[in-house]
Amino acid sequence: MTTEATTLRSDPLLQEPPPPQRPFQIRQALIYLLLILCGAIVIVPFLWMISTSLKTPDQLFTGRVDFIPNPAVPRNYIDVWERLSSVAPGMSFARIIGNTLFITILAMFGEIFSASLVAYGFSRFEWRGRNLLFGLMLATVMIPGIVTRVPSFLIWRELGLLNTYDPLTWPSLFAWGPLYVFLMRQFFLSIPRELEEAAIIDGANVAQIYWHIMLPLIRPVLLAIAVLSFQANWNNFQGPILYISTPQMFPLALAMRFFDQSLSRGEAPQWHYMMAMATMMTAPVLLLYFLAQKQFIEGLNIGAVKG
Amino acid sequence: MKMRFVVVAVALMLCALGPAMAQDAPIITISTWAGVDEAAEFQEIIDEINANTTEYQIVHQPIPADYYTVVQTQLAAPGSGADMYWMDQNNMALKAEGVFMDLSACLANAEPGSAGDLSDYYPSILAVNEYEGGIYGLPWIAQPVVTYYNRALFEAAGLEEPTADWTWDDFMEYARALTLDTDGDGETDQWGFINNGWPPPYIFVWQAGGELINEDFTEAPIDSPEFLEGFEFYLSTAYNPEVSPSADIIAEQGFAEMFKAGRIAMFMGGAADDLDRVEGLDVGVVPVPAHPETGSQTTFAWNASTVINASSPLAQSNPDLLCDALIAITEGIHNWKIVSPRISQGTVEHLVASEPRKEASAEAIIAAAQDMRALPIFGNYAEFDSVFWSEFWGPLINKETDLTPAELAAEVRPELEETLQ
Amino acid sequence: MTTDPGALNTYLPTLIRYILVAIGVGVIMIIVYRVQIALGVKREAATGRALVTPWVIGFLVFNVFTIGTSLYLSFTEYNLFRPPEWIGLGNYQELFDVSFGTLESREQRSSDVLARRHSEIIRVEIGDGGFVFGARAASFWRSMRLTLVYAFVSVPLGLAGALGVALLLNQKVKGLGFWRVLYYMPAVLPAVATALLWRWMFSQSGIINTLTQPIWRLTTNEPPRWFTDANLALPAFVIIGLWGVFGANSVILLAGLKGIPQELYEAASIDGAGNWAKFRHVTIPMLSPALFYNLVTSTIAALQIFELAAFIQTPESVGTFVNWLIYQEAFTLRNMGMASAMAWILLLIILALTALIFRSSEFWVFYQGQREKA
Repeated sequence: MTTEATTLRSDPLLQEPPPPQRPFQIRQALIYLLLILCGAIVIVPFLWMISTSLKTPDQLFTGRVDFIPNPAVPRNYIDVWERLSSVAPGMSFARIIGNTLFITILAMFGEIFSASLVAYGFSRFEWRGRNLLFGLMLATVMIPGIVTRVPSFLIWRELGLLNTYDPLTWPSLFAWGPLYVFLMRQFFLSIPRELEEAAIIDGANVAQIYWHIMLPLIRPVLLAIAVLSFQANWNNFQGPILYISTPQMFPLALAMRFFDQSLSRGEAPQWHYMMAMATMMTAPVLLLYFLAQKQFIEGLNIGAVKG
Repeated sequence: MKMRFVVVAVALMLCALGPAMAQDAPIITISTWAGVDEAAEFQEIIDEINANTTEYQIVHQPIPADYYTVVQTQLAAPGSGADMYWMDQNNMALKAEGVFMDLSACLANAEPGSAGDLSDYYPSILAVNEYEGGIYGLPWIAQPVVTYYNRALFEAAGLEEPTADWTWDDFMEYARALTLDTDGDGETDQWGFINNGWPPPYIFVWQAGGELINEDFTEAPIDSPEFLEGFEFYLSTAYNPEVSPSADIIAEQGFAEMFKAGRIAMFMGGAADDLDRVEGLDVGVVPVPAHPETGSQTTFAWNASTVINASSPLAQSNPDLLCDALIAITEGIHNWKIVSPRISQGTVEHLVASEPRKEASAEAIIAAAQDMRALPIFGNYAEFDSVFWSEFWGPLINKETDLTPAELAAEVRPELEETLQ
Repeated sequence: MTTDPGALNTYLPTLIRYILVAIGVGVIMIIVYRVQIALGVKREAATGRALVTPWVIGFLVFNVFTIGTSLYLSFTEYNLFRPPEWIGLGNYQELFDVSFGTLESREQRSSDVLARRHSEIIRVEIGDGGFVFGARAASFWRSMRLTLVYAFVSVPLGLAGALGVALLLNQKVKGLGFWRVLYYMPAVLPAVATALLWRWMFSQSGIINTLTQPIWRLTTNEPPRWFTDANLALPAFVIIGLWGVFGANSVILLAGLKGIPQELYEAASIDGAGNWAKFRHVTIPMLSPALFYNLVTSTIAALQIFELAAFIQTPESVGTFVNWLIYQEAFTLRNMGMASAMAWILLLIILALTALIFRSSEFWVFYQGQREKA
């Protein structure tokens, strides 16, 4: 017994807080070193992207690693739009960002609204076939978009809605994201019945219960989904490339590809301009991320740990 | 009271109709693959056309990226897309899909000598646009392959410059004599010729009298002695250390770049290429060498046409207007790009007027243009071409097979003829 | 129309249709409700079903119909301009037209061993001989090769790396929130931007070659051409994939680690377990649900890489990623039938791999509430 107790006490993992001993300090230092190394690996490419976006073309291929451009040309951010407009008049910053925001906001609202309604239906009501349909919905996660790509294109062609924003916006009204429905359902399930029953006694109908009671209670997950939805739609590339062909209508992701293919092929790739566009595309998402990190990470965790 | 009401009503109606009656001319859109500079030049042509007509206004909508993917998607969605498109000869195979408007009706009334006069076009070039009796595109360029040669290298080797009537034998003689080790380090660093799959073998095949596809598109006689003669000569110039660099060297130093760096004596390229404008090089131009026996100097022509989108609203409602615009645009391009696909414009003067920088080579280019031929394009050409490359041309030029060309041709011919169905 | 119609003209019609569709969906929901009530269904059930209607419509149109159509198209030849032409198993036959051959000697050419129209996909030289695997649909099989090898390499590596980082973060470090935010960043960035960024970094005169100069100076004295050299393309893609993903995965695993009750570690210590034993018998089993989730999602994602392939060209001998190949086949080459067949093969592979992982999970994943016999 006593030998075991001694073993117990000298086991460093269990001592807390540990008195500063040399092995421990070295260990901590090592940990921080590794963390910093990993952090550098994460952030260096990103810093390099910003650094390149501020350079002049002759600074690009020098063979040295200069993080601070000298001279720095923030004008690149304006010039890149001029260059784009010279190939396709009308492709201005305002227009392209406007396109991207249009798609993103419409899709976001559609997704959040419809996902919450559907999740409400799956969680707070008993009806035959509910579990079957819910399982079916989860199973659709397995289906890669690849399989549905060609038929979706054909549907929109029949509707005559190719080269419009419709394929990217109003299908969101049909709760096409099982993940969002799943997340909201989890939250809905945790709301106590009594609240609902009290409201019904007070004479509230379904719509009122939904709007005044349910939605406010799931606000945290609504925020998480809003953030995830914004990110997914802002970054969306596979959707627009299928449906939109007029350059002036491109969202930012397609505008970057357009720039790459039309102005940057050949011997002198315009990396400074392309990195400027990449930074412009990344900035809003990053900003949102920093402001709402909790929501981002929490949204992911719920899916993982409870899933 | 009533009278005043009527007057006011009529006045209002006239106000509403007035602007409607003074309608803007319909807008005709044309899409091309032009990049920034080319688009600017094309815009000059369009501006001039627009200034000289009130019937229509042309708007250029370039698609500098993913051109054929975008165009095919637009063609597949009736009613979307531009009214006209540029199509290179390979993509003219779409003529069989019913997506281009048949121009024979509206061109029948075209002015003789204008861009709409089909009799003024080289027949081989026009044939690319023909399908089942109709004509589906108007050619705007036909670029023959010519030979660029580095005068300095010829001089250094003490050789006479090639003349316009030189033959395959002269060519091989020069090529061997100009493949040297110039700095004495034991490694060849200058070659007489360069062939990595380009130039196309059809040049030599056609000169020898062979055919890739017969006239009514039912046979692919690649095992004929003439075809094989031409193809074997072509193979003897490719990756052959006696006359041309190996694939590795080309991958390392670049294909056209090697000529521009002065390490290749003769290069077969398009007539409009800038190889005779390289700084520091003295470059001459002659047509491709002729077959020693038949004397044929047939050369390969890359060509492109402008087509009208059959599903565009204007093509339904006012095809003649589109036709007029097409003729005007084509006329403009014939005075811009070289070489014009029209027989009456096959003169040195016309060429130099379009492209003054080619004055020195103009004679050779015009001579080559008289003998140019386009590919035999039909609906399923893409598959035919793919089989020809992967089963015959590729394995032979990359030495991936032990079969002789004759043996391989006999095997591949049935597969090719399958795609002709 | 390809003329620019102007911003308003592109937004307004879509907005109007969007609102109309939203109203339409609402109307359908009400109709579904009323019909059910009329049929005598209880109010609660009727409401529930009415609320779920939007998803049901979307499911029928965008899932059932599209999958069905895709399956149908895979048995046809369809080039968009003419109606689909039924060819039965033709596409699948062409895709599965493969051959194996044994090499008699190292020098023997693959083309001598394989069937007529087959190209070499995999060549394994063993001793003075070897094997060759060839196929008729060369670009498809090369893409499968690249995609599958990429998945098999990057997913386990990614998981191991993420686990390592998560363990690191779990070591009572200060500023945990900061590190978490930092590491998760790459997962947030748009795939388009990261594809371009990494193409720039891996370019011949890019930063990666500059930084690794001391290494390659010694061997070839030439900067490696990452995406054009057949041997370097895969490692480059794996590196990019790892960078993008290890942060997100590590954050998930970290949450899982934090959820492991301390008592288990203490109990293990009392039983005399050392660090490694604790790791094997407490950490891994308790973390297995999160590991499982990560494994499944990473695998599915790795098999569907798109933006990287769209922005980074690779030589024909290397192939590209299958998702991108299918897009090209459908929209550039207009072989929609063949593209659908390829998509189905990929779908079946994904399902098979997922099923495999699910089956195997019985052996190593367990959820809280079960106790493992140590």
